[in-house]
Amino acid sequence: MNVIFALVCSISMIILLFINPDGVLTAFLTGGEKALSLATKMIIVHAVWMGVFNLLEKTKLSNKFAKLLSPLNNFLFGKVPESAKGFISLNISANALGMSGATTPMGIKAIAELEKHKNTEYAIAMFFVINATSVQIIPTSVLALRASLGSASPSDIVIPTILATFLSTIIGVILVKTFIKKS
Amino acid sequence: MSKYFIPILFLIVFLFSIIKKVKPYDAFTEGAKSAIPFAISVFPYLVSIFILTELFEASGLSSAVSTFLQPVFSLLGIPAELTKLVLIKPFSGSGSLAILSEIYTKYGVDSYLSRCASVIYGSSETVFYIAAVYFAGAKTKKLTAPILISLVASFISCAFACFICKIM
Repeated sequence: MNVIFALVCSISMIILLFINPDGVLTAFLTGGEKALSLATKMIIVHAVWMGVFNLLEKTKLSNKFAKLLSPLNNFLFGKVPESAKGFISLNISANALGMSGATTPMGIKAIAELEKHKNTEYAIAMFFVINATSVQIIPTSVLALRASLGSASPSDIVIPTILATFLSTIIGVILVKTFIKKS
Repeated sequence: MSKYFIPILFLIVFLFSIIKKVKPYDAFTEGAKSAIPFAISVFPYLVSIFILTELFEASGLSSAVSTFLQPVFSLLGIPAELTKLVLIKPFSGSGSLAILSEIYTKYGVDSYLSRCASVIYGSSETVFYIAAVYFAGAKTKKLTAPILISLVASFISCAFACFICKIM
């Protein structure tokens, strides 16, 4: 991350120095502004979902849900502490269903739980890759945008999207299984 | 169907908390409490990621990189018009959505390019953004391998998306 950040930022700044020196500070400030507006939105979304999750945890509903998905969990993550399993299952299901507000808070909780235990680096890597390769089944935002622009059949792209989504996740899972050591 | 999912989930959770005699008010408030510390811990990471995207765009570097990579992309069957979308998607959700709607209006929403772009957008994630947010509070900083794996997997599926849109 440090290398990418340093490289992209310095090259961009060198270019801007020649074409638009004022643009450098503007870009930094605009970035900060966008981050703040997103963070404000996050406070609201997280307050709601973290409240609901705490109830899920306290009522032990999340454990029941994790048991339902445990064969899949065992295949993907190996030995994982019970407490993290619930959040992993919820995160992946919410992701698949396109509940975009719910996925981030659950993902963060899952990683925090995993980090409390030793030898979970493999599970954390697997969990991140599954999230970052997208498991969303119905691309809700794309469908809405297509419909609003008067597409003859907005849902045309659903099956190709599902196939591509699955492919990227499967490749991701295989790569993690081959390149990251299970501890 | 999907519009009932969240209300029903919330309802089940609340009803269950009554049955299980978990104090719903206390538990909900306790959970909600973590929202502000979370936002504060994530904010610096968001700032860095957004500055990165802003600079990348404003300097014209993203366009330059797209032009440079176009031959490689077209070799894999990814149309030149979509190079920018493929490049921006891992960094920024709002940025790539803007590019997607630009493609829609420019080439017509039902054209091959637009369908391809839809599949690419819908089947990939904002990898760097997820890395920043998910690991904001985490101790693990060993992220290079997982990030690379995610990027490679997403890139292969982009090429696949362009192929499948041709035959479907």
